[in-house]
Amino acid sequence: METFFISAITFGAIFLFGCVGEIVTEKAGHLNLGIPGIMCMGAAGGCLGVRLCTYGVANPSGVLTVIVAILFAMIFAGLLGAVYAFFTVSLRVNQNVTGLICTTFGAGFTSFFLNTVVLADGASARLAFAGLNYFNATIPGVDKLGWFGNIFLGQGVLVYLAIIIAVVAAVVLRYTKVGLHLRAIGENPATADAVGIPVTQYKYTFVIIGAMIAGLGGIGYTMGYMRGIVGSTVDTTIQGIGWLSIALVIFTLWKPALSILGSIVFGMLYILSTRITGITFEQIPLLDIVPYAVTILVLIITSIVGHRETQAPASLGLSYFREDR
Amino acid sequence: MERVKKPLIHISKREPMPLWKSLLIRAGAVLIALIISATFISLSAPRSQGFFGFFGSLFSGAFGTERRILVLLQDTGLLLLVALALVVAFRMKFWNLGGNGQILMGCLASAICMKYLGGKAPDAAVGLLMFVTSLAAGAAWAVIPAVFKAFFNTNESLFTLMLNYVAMNLVVFFIALWYPTGSGAMPPLTEGRLPTMGGGLVGRYLPVILTAVIVTAAIFCYLRFTKHGYEIDLVGESKNTARYAGIGVKKVVIRTLAFSGLLCGLVGFLLVGSINYMVSPTMDGNMGFTGIMVAWLGKFNPLIMAGVAFFVNILSCGMASGVQTDFRFTSEAFTDIVIGLIYFFFIGCEFFIVYKVHLNLPGRTHGRPAPAFEMGEKGAQEEQNEQGEQSEAQVQKAQTAPEAGQAAPAQVDVAEQAPPETPPDTPPDSASDAPKKNILKKLMFWKKEEK
Repeated sequence: METFFISAITFGAIFLFGCVGEIVTEKAGHLNLGIPGIMCMGAAGGCLGVRLCTYGVANPSGVLTVIVAILFAMIFAGLLGAVYAFFTVSLRVNQNVTGLICTTFGAGFTSFFLNTVVLADGASARLAFAGLNYFNATIPGVDKLGWFGNIFLGQGVLVYLAIIIAVVAAVVLRYTKVGLHLRAIGENPATADAVGIPVTQYKYTFVIIGAMIAGLGGIGYTMGYMRGIVGSTVDTTIQGIGWLSIALVIFTLWKPALSILGSIVFGMLYILSTRITGITFEQIPLLDIVPYAVTILVLIITSIVGHRETQAPASLGLSYFREDR
Repeated sequence: MERVKKPLIHISKREPMPLWKSLLIRAGAVLIALIISATFISLSAPRSQGFFGFFGSLFSGAFGTERRILVLLQDTGLLLLVALALVVAFRMKFWNLGGNGQILMGCLASAICMKYLGGKAPDAAVGLLMFVTSLAAGAAWAVIPAVFKAFFNTNESLFTLMLNYVAMNLVVFFIALWYPTGSGAMPPLTEGRLPTMGGGLVGRYLPVILTAVIVTAAIFCYLRFTKHGYEIDLVGESKNTARYAGIGVKKVVIRTLAFSGLLCGLVGFLLVGSINYMVSPTMDGNMGFTGIMVAWLGKFNPLIMAGVAFFVNILSCGMASGVQTDFRFTSEAFTDIVIGLIYFFFIGCEFFIVYKVHLNLPGRTHGRPAPAFEMGEKGAQEEQNEQGEQSEAQVQKAQTAPEAGQAAPAQVDVAEQAPPETPPDTPPDSASDAPKKNILKKLMFWKKEEK
């Protein structure tokens, strides 16, 4: 039971990265369906960073590896995010279509990049990844605190990073001028523009920041949850996680603080089928349906209740062209 | 004098472009994307065939043998069917991203019929039942989100996306149920297959191709010439207008989505009954997403979409069975990258069809500078002529009072006191006459000396 909760929180961090990234993007009025591809890009960048720091290095430094991997993940994800931003902000292409293309491209690129560049020498590289445990190193002495210490203090660095980012995002969105401007742009870019907020600049900045945050989800999966075991189907798995992260945004009503709890719930639901005992082979896929079914239920409930606070930003998904009437 | 600060790039909407010109822009974009891909591939491939070898491999992969041509046509037909299914919903601005799930449900229904009834009932009866159930299953998978959209305005794009994964897991469940000891793969069933059309290779591929052709024509007519098609477009334009015109919006949404899912179910039926004879969780081949690109790039017009679907399949078939083997790529992922790149260019060029870009480079005087800039230049020149004292506004003021040009100094005062909005007696073109302008300038000169 204890290991179940530990894993659920580790997995929840992946959702949390994706969810907070998408919230930040959506607050700028952009529904980024490219998040699954962007998370894949993060995985590719993270694996490259780890490989550069550890492979063939005599005494690899754990801290350096973690920092470099996080930086690379953010750069890779940010690049695809910038492409998305260029197409949807500057070229004003339909956001759904651009997002789906980003997903196709990102997943394809990641699969190709991991197989031919990062893991070019096959099994040996995979094993070398699996051997390192920098991302799951815990605070020393935590295991003496019993179950509480194991579950809440015994997590790897990425879990805490995810929570910190979520809290920072919540505070920035709610209590700062930048957050107010961003929300204004998401609700009505024309009004924000009239007030003198630099709409294009804000949109670019926060779409790219959102992508960078989401990209950390990729490294959260490959290095945090899978502990460096990078399988050949990693891109399809991350895609599934990415779609759920987008759904989680609705589940948590566009509130980053709430998404910390939501992501843990989703983490539990997602790993349920692999951890539960005493079920038959064919029941596993039925359990795998649960997180998607729950998302659908929440979608329906929030739309029926229909409170204004629980709705998407008003201009979500619409391109803004100043000279339009 | 104050210069107007102008942005470097100014974007404005263009007048609608003639079709040939927009097609030319699109062709150019695709060409650039292909050249980039070819360069990249020929430089990075394990066994490169050179820059032009890429195009050769692409072509032979798509059209090399009779079988390849037939596969290409069949894949085009399937993709086109999915794209048509989606376009019906898209024209209503209903973002059906659940094509994959709807196809899989159709596949699953067909497979269930084949599994339980194949060999036990006459083939014709099984075939008919497969047809009905798979269409119904696909339709059901689309109607569920449509009902919630119609009554509660539930976000349909996420709803349909989630249903994709539910459908996928249902397929996994049934395979696990039927083959508990297997590796999760299903062997092709031998009983209850749909008949082929005549013998040989052509007969095997013909049913799908023919269905696609017939359905495309039917959808084109449905969208363009029927009342339903009109209602779909109206609901897409404005729900309020549609309601005002007496259209039951809820009914239209649900009916249209049932139709959309039905077509996806048809694709599932063809995939299982006539091509694969089994079902797998990835049998949709991501056509639900590719179909969105086809619909979007085809401007929601079934005939253009047919061309786009053909082109997309030339790429994917050419990459998969031509370039990938010739250039010794081990992973299929490279195809995704190239196709993604081409999509990016293709959608990116739409911008240049809809919008016009004006560049305001500093210090650029040739070409066609923007009008405000021109005026500023002129003002600056005139200012120098007036010995740097007179402002631009005063020059204009003097120009708008041309009677001052009749030379008497007494009248100059009148002109000076006259407010700038005093209408000129003479027509405005005479104000810009060269001789008169010279007189004006002299006059200003005198005026200054007086002071």
